[in-house]
Amino acid sequence: MSKDNKKKLLAQRHVSSRMNFLFQASNLMAEGHRTKLAAYYGKLCRNVGTKAVMHMAPALKRSLCKRCSLPLLPGVNTELQVAEAPKEVAVTPFPQKEAPSNGGAKTKKKRHRRQRKKPKRRSENGDTGNNREPQPEIHNETEPISLYLKCSLCHSQRSFPADNQRDCWLEQSQSVVQVVSLPGENGQR
Amino acid sequence: MDPTTNDYKEFVTDLVIPHQRMNVNINPDHITMLEGTKIKKQHSRKRRAHKSGVLSRKEYAKLGLNTLPTKQMKYEEALPLHNLWKGYVREHLELREGAEVPEVHDPRYDEFSRQLVKLDLHGAKLKVVQSKCRTLEDLDGICVMDTKNVLKLLGKDHRLRTIPKSECVFGMKVGNMQFTIFGKHLNIRPAERSVKKIKNFVEPFM
Repeated sequence: MSKDNKKKLLAQRHVSSRMNFLFQASNLMAEGHRTKLAAYYGKLCRNVGTKAVMHMAPALKRSLCKRCSLPLLPGVNTELQVAEAPKEVAVTPFPQKEAPSNGGAKTKKKRHRRQRKKPKRRSENGDTGNNREPQPEIHNETEPISLYLKCSLCHSQRSFPADNQRDCWLEQSQSVVQVVSLPGENGQR
Repeated sequence: MDPTTNDYKEFVTDLVIPHQRMNVNINPDHITMLEGTKIKKQHSRKRRAHKSGVLSRKEYAKLGLNTLPTKQMKYEEALPLHNLWKGYVREHLELREGAEVPEVHDPRYDEFSRQLVKLDLHGAKLKVVQSKCRTLEDLDGICVMDTKNVLKLLGKDHRLRTIPKSECVFGMKVGNMQFTIFGKHLNIRPAERSVKKIKNFVEPFM
């Protein structure tokens, strides 16, 4: 049993080194603006993973385009853009009551997702209500913006919601390590 | 320059007879792409529904991902890929400085040769040592694409050449080692290569 396991581990190691190589090659080609080759290596990396039943780390997996496996590098391949005109459905502060009337225009899938999300946030607020009460107010004032990356090859979009509830945001205290300000700026303020 | 216009230029030059190709001079301003005329309503709706999902084979081919342009890539651009590949081979075959190829009677030999078949060839410097077809012999270059039946080598003269695997014997150099690979046994899809079971005895064809 142990021998068998060892053998399997060895095989997996070879597969992982190959996938690693292919992913790096794909990124290398994307930086050199060889989009076709980059997409080809990305696709191959993904295929090797599926054949050998091995998973990529989620962050790496998501850096490849969902449709054509081109690695999306903001600033090289694509640009992070702000989506135009947030939908009015999303602006309403508590859409849970109005959800059936609003959701008619949208697909079923989206409505489900929203309904699942909202109660969770509410309960979260209820739990930590003592600690950070002002935060929901801030969230309501700012309009929810979504950012997106557009793949240059197959024109598919990958969108991110940008709200201050996320980890990597200046409003979150744990994500700020150090505040550096120039002396000139201080004087202006 | 815009890469798409390069594609059209190459297409037009390939139509001209070979010894006149030097004289072809195309003004990029004169290239006009015609748009398609009608799109049926049903068709567009279907496509929009599909757009969120994965690419189908047809769409994948339509984006031109199965074919590579033959004359646009420079040899120097493939060199970083080759360097990356060198590191990968070292890791894959567990080579150290001054490592030798194991002899046939060596217990490591079986394992070593099995790993050699599973090696990824993208970025390798390959040379056609022997072939059934005379014109393919002595061609060399960096492998940039690997399909089931064909290797695409980028030669030093900045040309991409397509070479069938099954009829050729390839030579490959890693550090101080020299490998000879019978292309017949490489006829596996590159994605399946790392999981495929390989039989112990394989005979060379020549």
